[in-house]
Amino acid sequence: MSTSSSQVVLEGRGVGRLFGTGPLAVRALHPTDIQVRRGEVLVIMGPSGSGKTTLLSLLGLVLSPTEGEVMLDGRTVSGGSPDALALLRRERVGFVFQQFNLMPGLSALDNVALPLLLRGTSARERAARARVALARVGLSDREAAKPRLLSGGQQQRVAIARALVTDAPVILCDEPTASLDGVTGKAVLNTLKDLATDLGRAVVVVTHDDRVLAIADRLVEVVDGHVHERASPSAREVHG
Amino acid sequence: MRMLGLALKMLLDAPAKSMGTLVGVVVSVFLMSQQLSILLGILSLVSAFADGTDADIWVASAATENTDITDSLPATRVAEVASTPGVAWAAPVIQGMSRITRPDGVRELVKVVGVEPPRYAGLARTLVDGTQRESLRGPARVFLSWSARPAFAFPAPGERLEIDGKTAFVAGFFDKVDPHSSYTYVFANLDDARAYTQFPQDRITFVATGVSPGEDAVTVRQRLQARIPDALVVTRGELSAMEVRHFLRRTPVGMVFGMGTAVAAFIGSVIVAITLYSSVVDRLRDYGTLKALGATRKDLVRLLLAQAWLFFAVGAGVGLLAFFFVKAHAPQAPMLAPPWMLAGVMAVSLTSCTLASLAAVRRALAIDPAIVFRG
Ligand SMILES: Nc1ncnc2c1ncn2[C@@H]1O[C@H](COP(=O)(O)OP(=O)(O)O)[C@@H](O)[C@H]1O
Ligand SMILES: [Mg+2]
Repeated sequence: MSTSSSQVVLEGRGVGRLFGTGPLAVRALHPTDIQVRRGEVLVIMGPSGSGKTTLLSLLGLVLSPTEGEVMLDGRTVSGGSPDALALLRRERVGFVFQQFNLMPGLSALDNVALPLLLRGTSARERAARARVALARVGLSDREAAKPRLLSGGQQQRVAIARALVTDAPVILCDEPTASLDGVTGKAVLNTLKDLATDLGRAVVVVTHDDRVLAIADRLVEVVDGHVHERASPSAREVHG
Repeated sequence: MRMLGLALKMLLDAPAKSMGTLVGVVVSVFLMSQQLSILLGILSLVSAFADGTDADIWVASAATENTDITDSLPATRVAEVASTPGVAWAAPVIQGMSRITRPDGVRELVKVVGVEPPRYAGLARTLVDGTQRESLRGPARVFLSWSARPAFAFPAPGERLEIDGKTAFVAGFFDKVDPHSSYTYVFANLDDARAYTQFPQDRITFVATGVSPGEDAVTVRQRLQARIPDALVVTRGELSAMEVRHFLRRTPVGMVFGMGTAVAAFIGSVIVAITLYSSVVDRLRDYGTLKALGATRKDLVRLLLAQAWLFFAVGAGVGLLAFFFVKAHAPQAPMLAPPWMLAGVMAVSLTSCTLASLAAVRRALAIDPAIVFRG
């Protein structure tokens, strides 16, 4: 796989985060350089409390860095206004959360279509694209179901469909398998892997679950807020 | 409004809470309409004499608070008024309290208004079908209020009554001149009215005045006032306003219904404010998710306004239906609902729903989208 800089969609340059001030300040992430490339699965591993979520939040522009900057498509974007960042997330980033974070009042289809609604896409196009996305995660037959009627694995697949529906080049996942059993987790991981290989998305997966290594193109480890790049594990297909 | 669908689905997802809010808006709109319409109904009774009788300008004693609290004028005032430019006609009107003896012996309080043939200026403008003004010409003829017939055991035309012990024949009925008082109006010709009320021959209560075609009532009123500075000269509208002002000043009725209306508006907005705010607090994660997915401040404002306006639209609709239902089924209550009042109630309700969403908007805008990653 090429590592030319043209492939880099998302980049942290010396990006770090301190919570609070004075003697009570918590160093969640030391200044870090990190690159996220098109078509790859980047796995961020580390023990609980090591700063993984902080790193992902910084890359996803939901948390502002106290040091360094975040670059999206070669432009420095951190430091923008809350609305400017919201618009960038809307266009360029998809999210998958440990807790799924689906809207309980919306059907699976409406949940998937939500990012398109925010973009102002017409109702007809929203439904059409959401159906394609739901089909990709294998949930075409559940489009009318509310989240509470779906299993954990199904909910996470709806969330993945929501992340991919906008064609955002970057998909950021925080512990996507942590709330799922082994078999379901593997299915979700395979779906994520496909997003990188088939659709060329940059997929970042934060986890402390070793099974995720199976889909990793690149691996970084976070320990006590320090980020270390590890030798690329050879990706292998996960069976499940 | 693309947020409307999302807003509706979010509200339907919490049906009990949404229902409670809706009931709050319904009750608020119903109460506001009902309180205001009763107040307007009462005020229309208070000004019924001015609004419902036939004169453009009234001349009365300077010692006048309203049409109940007034003194008399020398009868010579009529000629002075009549000879003023812009006045088409002027006629004496007298009024005095008296009693009608009912068939069962109860003596009902009445205010006898005497009007002068052939013009009958100052007579009720609305006569019931079959009643002619000229029927007052004969001796001892009176018009009774159509709506007051129950008090007089539904007398038929031609039936004999006694006013102050003197004979009075029912010559017809008028409508729309019923006071907000414990008496009813009775119209009679000037001479009979003097007899019924023992009114002095050389005095009158009002000069009822008509303005010539093309003349402006206010201009003529000013001219009359300059000519007879020691009398009160008011247009029909001014007399009507005078009655209402005096009533609102002297009775707590305006306060009571005004407060009722204000409290209803306040309760409606407080209920919407509390439920919308608590729905945001209940759904911090949902609103955080929306923010993470790229909802701007404007999107959130729209989403919450859409929720507030849905409560307004449905709540106000149902509240108004309930109001009209009660109004239609309570014909004895003096309820008036002119379009401007209904529009006002709608505007107040819409405004209070909108203002009520502000606290929720503030709370939603303050949500840190980073909470979506927290467990
Ligand atoms: N909002 C915050 N305020 C204060 N400290 C925080 C906040 N978020 C995270 N931290 C701290 O930063 C460190 C890293 O947290 P986090 O990035 O969530 O770790 P991980 O995702 O690897 O478990 C932890 O010590 C945590 O307590
Ligand atoms: Mg974490």
